Amino acid sequence: MSLTAVVWGVTGVLFFFGLAIVTLRRQLLAMLLGLELMLAAVNVGLVHHAGLFHDAEALAVVALVIAVAAAEVVVGLSLILRVRRGGRGADAALLTELQG
Amino acid sequence: MTAAQVPLAAWLLFAAPVSAILFGFFVMRRVKPEWTHLPILLSCVIVTAAAFWLAADVYTGHSFDLNLFRWAAAGAFGVDFGLRIDGPGVAVLAMVSLVGSLIHLYAAGYMKGDAAFGRFFLIFHLFFLAMIGLLTANNYVQLYLFWELVGVCSYLLVGFWFHKESARAAALKAFITNRIGDFGLLLAVLLIVLQFKVTHFHLLYLKAASGVSFALLPLIGVCLVWAACAKSAQFPLYFWLPDAMEGPTPTSALMHAATMVTAGVFLLVRSWPLIALVPGLPDLVAWIGGVTALFAAIIAGTKKDLKRILAYSTVSHLGLMMLALGLGQVGAALFHLVVHGFFKAALFLCVGNIAHALHQSTVNVDDVGGLHKSMRLTYLSFLLAALSLAGVFPLGGFFSKDAILDAAWHHGGPLALMSMLVAAGSAFYIFRMLFLVFYGARSQQKDAAHVHEAEPILGIPVLFLALGAAAAGLLKAPLERFVVSGLRGLPSGLPGLNLVLNLPGELFLPHLNWIVAGLGTLMAALGAATAWRLTMSDPGFDWRWRGGVAEAMFESDFGWKILIDRGARAVSRVADCIGRVLDKGCLDGLIEGMAGLTRAAGTLIARSAQGRVNDYLWWMVIGTALLLGRVLR
Amino acid sequence: MILPLTTLWIVPLIGAAVCSMMGSRSKHAALIFSAAFLAAVGIIGLLQRPTEGLLVINEIGPAWAYGISYRLSADSLSIGLIGLTAFLNLICVIASWELEVSAGYWACFMALSAALTGVFLARDLFFFYIFWEATLVPMFFIIGLWGSSNRLHAAVKFFLFTFLGSVLMLLALLALVSAHHRATGVWTWDLAVLDAGTLGSAAPLVFWGLVLGFAVKIPMVPLHTWLPDAHTEAPAAGSVMLAGVMLKMGVYGLLRVALPLFPILSWDALPILGGLAAFSTIYGALCAMAQTDLKRMIAYSSIAHLGFCLLGVLSRTSQGLTGGALQLVNHGLTTGALFLMVGFLYERSHKRGLSDFGDLASRAPYLAFFFGFSTLASIGLPGLNGFVGEFLSLSGALSALPVLAFAGMFGVTLAAAYALPAFQAVFWAPAGSGSVSAKVTDLNYRERAVLWTLSGLMLWIGLAPRPWLAWFEPALRGLVR
Repeated sequence: MSLTAVVWGVTGVLFFFGLAIVTLRRQLLAMLLGLELMLAAVNVGLVHHAGLFHDAEALAVVALVIAVAAAEVVVGLSLILRVRRGGRGADAALLTELQG
Repeated sequence: MTAAQVPLAAWLLFAAPVSAILFGFFVMRRVKPEWTHLPILLSCVIVTAAAFWLAADVYTGHSFDLNLFRWAAAGAFGVDFGLRIDGPGVAVLAMVSLVGSLIHLYAAGYMKGDAAFGRFFLIFHLFFLAMIGLLTANNYVQLYLFWELVGVCSYLLVGFWFHKESARAAALKAFITNRIGDFGLLLAVLLIVLQFKVTHFHLLYLKAASGVSFALLPLIGVCLVWAACAKSAQFPLYFWLPDAMEGPTPTSALMHAATMVTAGVFLLVRSWPLIALVPGLPDLVAWIGGVTALFAAIIAGTKKDLKRILAYSTVSHLGLMMLALGLGQVGAALFHLVVHGFFKAALFLCVGNIAHALHQSTVNVDDVGGLHKSMRLTYLSFLLAALSLAGVFPLGGFFSKDAILDAAWHHGGPLALMSMLVAAGSAFYIFRMLFLVFYGARSQQKDAAHVHEAEPILGIPVLFLALGAAAAGLLKAPLERFVVSGLRGLPSGLPGLNLVLNLPGELFLPHLNWIVAGLGTLMAALGAATAWRLTMSDPGFDWRWRGGVAEAMFESDFGWKILIDRGARAVSRVADCIGRVLDKGCLDGLIEGMAGLTRAAGTLIARSAQGRVNDYLWWMVIGTALLLGRVLR
Repeated sequence: MILPLTTLWIVPLIGAAVCSMMGSRSKHAALIFSAAFLAAVGIIGLLQRPTEGLLVINEIGPAWAYGISYRLSADSLSIGLIGLTAFLNLICVIASWELEVSAGYWACFMALSAALTGVFLARDLFFFYIFWEATLVPMFFIIGLWGSSNRLHAAVKFFLFTFLGSVLMLLALLALVSAHHRATGVWTWDLAVLDAGTLGSAAPLVFWGLVLGFAVKIPMVPLHTWLPDAHTEAPAAGSVMLAGVMLKMGVYGLLRVALPLFPILSWDALPILGGLAAFSTIYGALCAMAQTDLKRMIAYSSIAHLGFCLLGVLSRTSQGLTGGALQLVNHGLTTGALFLMVGFLYERSHKRGLSDFGDLASRAPYLAFFFGFSTLASIGLPGLNGFVGEFLSLSGALSALPVLAFAGMFGVTLAAAYALPAFQAVFWAPAGSGSVSAKVTDLNYRERAVLWTLSGLMLWIGLAPRPWLAWFEPALRGLVR
């Protein structure tokens, strides 16, 4: 089993863990965590392939993804805090403002 | 001839009324509305003087036809406006201006104290101006312009007392009926443009006389006759005129004598060189005229409202003019038109005097009787005009009617018989009216003691009109000359158009034929005698026959009115159907229904979106998976 | 560098921006800018008077991707219609002077004028489309924000309906441009360069797409049902702009785009298009007869009037085209005046029904005079403007396809049958129970000044239409068949 296969395996497991957390959990903090996990999983794969192909562009993408993740955490956390202050806990099921 | 050489009189014909109306509208109506009539009466004097001046010019051979400015143009298409001062135009113009001015004077007295005195006079004068324009137009488009203006003014005047339901209805009826007739005129003008490329009368005469056959000419002719039928109140479009007496009496006098109904006959006189070329069309005109004259004369003998009797009488006399035209007697038609203007104006104004004396807008024969003592001047005027109408020698009506009877006599057949019957019928209804109103006091009448003679401003114009009606027979020779100069060619006129036209139709009036004159007088005497028998020697007769089938028949004009009413109602029902059901219900319903469907679909889909973040995430995951599956396959 | 045509549409746009920032003084800004706009059109029109040939001013900007370029051009038709826009815009501003509305109202009118001017100027079909769509936005807000009770429904209906038409038009334009690219290898949206011959067998589809897009705007029966609703709910000035200028976009589009691109197809389509136009005149008149609301009645009469325009334009004769173009102006003036007066009535009484008034001829003589005058102009009384357009259009139609003229003339006859009863019901009939005539005061000086101007123009065009016809004729000469 080559390193690439291991990396893909780790990436896949991490990504699907993240996806499962996001879709199945209703705790807002946990969902945010899941999102970060998915992004991190992709990052792992990207870093590996950057080494493999000697490609700096992939590393730039990784930096970008980290930046996006950071920005997202900032926005997400502040939104979660806002919702908590609103007195509705941190349960995603209670947020139905988007109802059509 | 250039615009600079147009005689001053021709300019004054327009300048005086236009400035009087503008001055009245912008100045007098604010400053002193009760004096609005003063500038207008001045304008009437100027117009009459100018008209007679021009008539004298034309009589001495100075008629002219001149384009003044180009009204509209696009590509090869162009319409010029101009002036045509020729025999037929100026003959009618002189009558219209004189009669019209006298009616203006009368109206100044009659309408005094009315709240809308200023408005009345302004529209009244505009009406007058429109007719002047119609008589001096030199092409069809210009004629159509004034033709419609005449229609609008009559609408405003018939509906002058608009608080009355009947006045509003009558005004609408008059206008819409005229509009139906205008359909014919507009179509005729458009077809003339299409066929001949010009609308100028004289150029058309030249083209028509050139011997080339024109495919559209029959249609043009029919359209023109149709238009004339509406304006001159001929069957089948006559029905608006009897109702149109809802306006103030001077309006009725002006409409019936001078400005409105004569326009149709005048149109046919102007178009005669075209119409005469269409085989069968003159016969159609003659038959329309004959039938209308006869049946209107019969109905006039059964009416009780004085103005309504006179209205049907007008229809009948216009029928006689059409009959004359149809028989090719252009001169006779114009002669009768002029004479009729005088006696009909006088008769209407006499009725106005009686109504004024009784303080009501119209009079029923039941309300009056034995007025010959209390209203001497009115009686005298009425008598003169009535004798003229009945065709009694040597009054004006005798000569003009004789010319028409003569034409019909020579044509022979049913038309000759009909014209004789019309002569008897006219004598009957006018003598019936005379007897009922001025003689034979009856039980139903209102208190005659209060009735007193009209004041001079009302009496004098009427007397002048009646004298005119009596003396109009003298006009026979001049009229002949006018008509010949107008339709046979212009002595001086458009450059290069000095040739004499040889057009069909008899322009010279017939010489006195003793057989016809004797027969006509006999018929008149017969009518008068019948009237005496039925009103004076058996005073109750006029009321006894009423109430049955006969009355229903006469009141509905032999059923025609009922048909017309049904037709009008059907049109409005169709409109209602289209507007409410088809447009609002079906078409708009379809559109709104589609919008509704879309909205319903939206609501349905919205139900699947409950607003839970997790649901959306699932949708996203499924979507991404599908997309990936498509890409990686 | 002076860019006269760009100035023309930028002036009202700046006006819109200024109005939206001025707050309570925005109506003064609107007045100044609409006057400046009118003056600008006047100056350009006077300086470039067509003497013998065409009046043409061109402005060509840089080309961008896919051959899109900023390309404006004005001939006498464009300038004439822009003049109408500017004039009616000023009239609208003065007429709504005393309305209590926010700054947005004035900004919307100025923006609408800017977009309309752009439509009449653009010769690059991309910009033509952009301006075309841009007119919808301000009108949507004018109806939706300042309309009467059912305004939202009307605004949405107006927007969606006309938008649907525009989408068809856009598809047709895209097909045209890409077909041209395929055939010649050149991307261009230039109206003068595009050639419908490159379309091949798809040409009829593209033609009908364009025509549908324009027909919705005109509107041609049966695509008209948005119009009565939009007119009824719009504020008076909105109705004036809608009827006065926006409906003209459809006919303008035909004249500018569809007929020059598809000369043969459009001639072949004459029986159908002309038939629909003639049908519109009769149908509009009959529908108008059935209405009980003054504004709806005038809206339906608009459909009939635009039918005459179309008859003239489609006849492709000199008098028909010129008369049709003049009828565009006529209808703007006459119907504009009528809508304004209904607006004045509504401001005073908050009613518009035919049976809500009565006896107004005695109470408000000026209103009665002007309403009667405009009504007569609208039913085509000779001597007033409506007749000139109708006469020339019908004359053209008669030489192209006589049946059409015949049908159109029924519309002329029917006009009296809806306009005069309505006039009588409002002004002549006695005030019945429930009448609000007591609230109707006569026109004030401002309103009278507006109506005197409009009536004066109606009379002028009616009595001496020649300069007006001479103005439009050169621009349309190329379309004569």
